[in-house]
Amino acid sequence: MAMLPSGVFAVRYAQDRALLRTRPQWVSLALFMLLLALLPHLVTPRLLAIANLMLVTAIVVVGLQITLGYAGQVNLGQSAFMGVGAYAAGVLSTKWSLPFLVTIPLGGVAAALFGFVFGLSAVRIKGFYLALTTIAAQFIFHFAVLNLPVSWLGGSNGISMHPARLGGIEFSTDVSIYYLFLVSCTLMVAGAFGMMRSRTGRAFIAVRDDDVAAGMTGIPVVRTKAMAFLVGAFYAGIGGGLYAYYIRFISVDQFNLFNSVWYLGMIIVGGTGSIVGALLGTFLIRAFQEVVTSIGPLLAELVPWLGGDIVFASMNILLGGLIAFFVIVEPDGLMHRWNILKASYRLWPFRY
Amino acid sequence: MTLAATTTAPGTAPPVLGAEHMTLRFGGVTALHDVSLDVRADETLAVIGPNGAGKTSLLNVFSGFYHPQQGRCFFTGTEITGKPTHEIAQMGVARTFQGTHIFAGMTVLDNILVGRHFHMRTTIPQSFLYFPWAHREELRHREVVEDIIDLLEIESIRSALVGALGYGLRKRVDLARALAMEPRVLLMDEPMAGMNTEEKEDLARFILDIREARHIPVVLVEHDMSVVMDLADRVAVFDFGRKIAEGTPQQIQRNPAVINAYLGASA
Ligand SMILES: Nc1ncnc2c1ncn2[C@@H]1O[C@H](COP(=O)(O)OP(=O)(O)OP(=O)(O)O)[C@@H](O)[C@H]1O
Ligand SMILES: [Mg+2]
Repeated sequence: MAMLPSGVFAVRYAQDRALLRTRPQWVSLALFMLLLALLPHLVTPRLLAIANLMLVTAIVVVGLQITLGYAGQVNLGQSAFMGVGAYAAGVLSTKWSLPFLVTIPLGGVAAALFGFVFGLSAVRIKGFYLALTTIAAQFIFHFAVLNLPVSWLGGSNGISMHPARLGGIEFSTDVSIYYLFLVSCTLMVAGAFGMMRSRTGRAFIAVRDDDVAAGMTGIPVVRTKAMAFLVGAFYAGIGGGLYAYYIRFISVDQFNLFNSVWYLGMIIVGGTGSIVGALLGTFLIRAFQEVVTSIGPLLAELVPWLGGDIVFASMNILLGGLIAFFVIVEPDGLMHRWNILKASYRLWPFRY
Repeated sequence: MTLAATTTAPGTAPPVLGAEHMTLRFGGVTALHDVSLDVRADETLAVIGPNGAGKTSLLNVFSGFYHPQQGRCFFTGTEITGKPTHEIAQMGVARTFQGTHIFAGMTVLDNILVGRHFHMRTTIPQSFLYFPWAHREELRHREVVEDIIDLLEIESIRSALVGALGYGLRKRVDLARALAMEPRVLLMDEPMAGMNTEEKEDLARFILDIREARHIPVVLVEHDMSVVMDLADRVAVFDFGRKIAEGTPQQIQRNPAVINAYLGASA
């Protein structure tokens, strides 16, 4: 083997490294992307609106996956980071009249800086106390928006936005927003794969699995953990900016602690340390939330003696129960189960 | 087994790594007491001593993980006392661990590639955009890693998750990761502990191969005296945080203080 010309090595390693190795994998990805591209023609407007929310949530949750699943840093402030991105994009767009192609990345940068500050203060603490610190991000965000002068961030009135524009296109319908979100989400997910399969991703996993060994292998542990916060918050900021252009109204309540907990739930259900898991978890939890919110009123109508309050409360309990179920029964998430299935399929007799 | 792998007589080259009057305390416990020690280029220096003698502490001080209260450490003439661990590692001090300290969630290949981390230059934005040169850099370093995989004979487990491997193989991955750093000195903390005879023989052979192929000076903390006699050019003996003797394996075997403190106790 050592006698092969070096070119042969490069080809072999390149193939070995490729994410999609077989033709069926390429074909299924192409079909899946085609399906996504045609989706607006296949589903009702109501479902398309849900799809839009899923896409923007997916970006935020992939970011959380990087911080939490890859680098092992608990983060319960992802929703606040998203809010920072939304407000930054909102202010830059309404007050400075900057185009969305500029405001969205800057929103990401603003969130990344906010996240980095928390990352730096949080890297020296672990587990439960780190979770508490990131919750503080949530409260600081809330406090800042509500207490800064109303002329800055709109205070409790929020900020109303114009739709995003690109050349002659105005993204004001669900269909046009869908394509904008699909492209953004695809880009962010591809970027996440690129990062996590590079030295950056390996450094993140290294500090997660054993930060003593990581340091003695030449990885700057504190900096790496802070960078994991920065990258994850950048994703949240991008998602927040896109969300702002979709809803076209920003207020603090949209970025509360409950959302952060939901994002965490999506990671738990999908599986930690897997980008596809983050997407899967987002899809399942968002779908489940939609089912519950549409069944809720129906149930309250059908069984009037139950009363609306009880129905809604029990729906939330049901959702919480689902996540608790996963924590107990399948703590590694669905992607883990899928990988086990895949491995056993590969080991099936006479299949090489 | 005798060694005559090198041209310079072992033990005469200038020091790569050194400690000067180093004292390290944990509360009331003195883990290292006024220790001075040199590791010379291209030698294998064994560090032996009973449990709690301060062997791991010595390596941890060299790695920058523990900071001595008194004394200084040098690496190739530069003082490294108080420097952060990752900087010392990047200067060329690599380390294998007592027990297992490997990245359980990664494949064998990725574990070893972590050792290449500071030799690589791709930034986060570059890998986000999947620049072609980021990809090429990855392949280039992959070749370095494949050489190490060949050397340590772990080809067949390349893509296995290390969490699923047995102890002996994990220790080999640990060593592979350290070698991937292309270190200028290698610190090994009881690499043979917990291994069966066959695994020990394999590892001893690898340590000899590394020495022959790469000329990396090695500090070997080891309990097994036959291993020490076979592999080491010089031996330093520790007891209760003090260096009580230093010399060739033959001298050490005859040293009465050593026989008293260590050999006598275990043999
Ligand atoms: N982090 C620490 N905190 C407190 N005491 C420590 C610490 N590390 C080492 N010690 C103490 O320092 C002394 C030397 O320990 P060290 O681990 O260096 O011994 P060792 O020679 O490696 O022993 P072994 O053969 O058991 O590995 C012991 O008394 C130990 O309890
Ligand atoms: Mg020890």
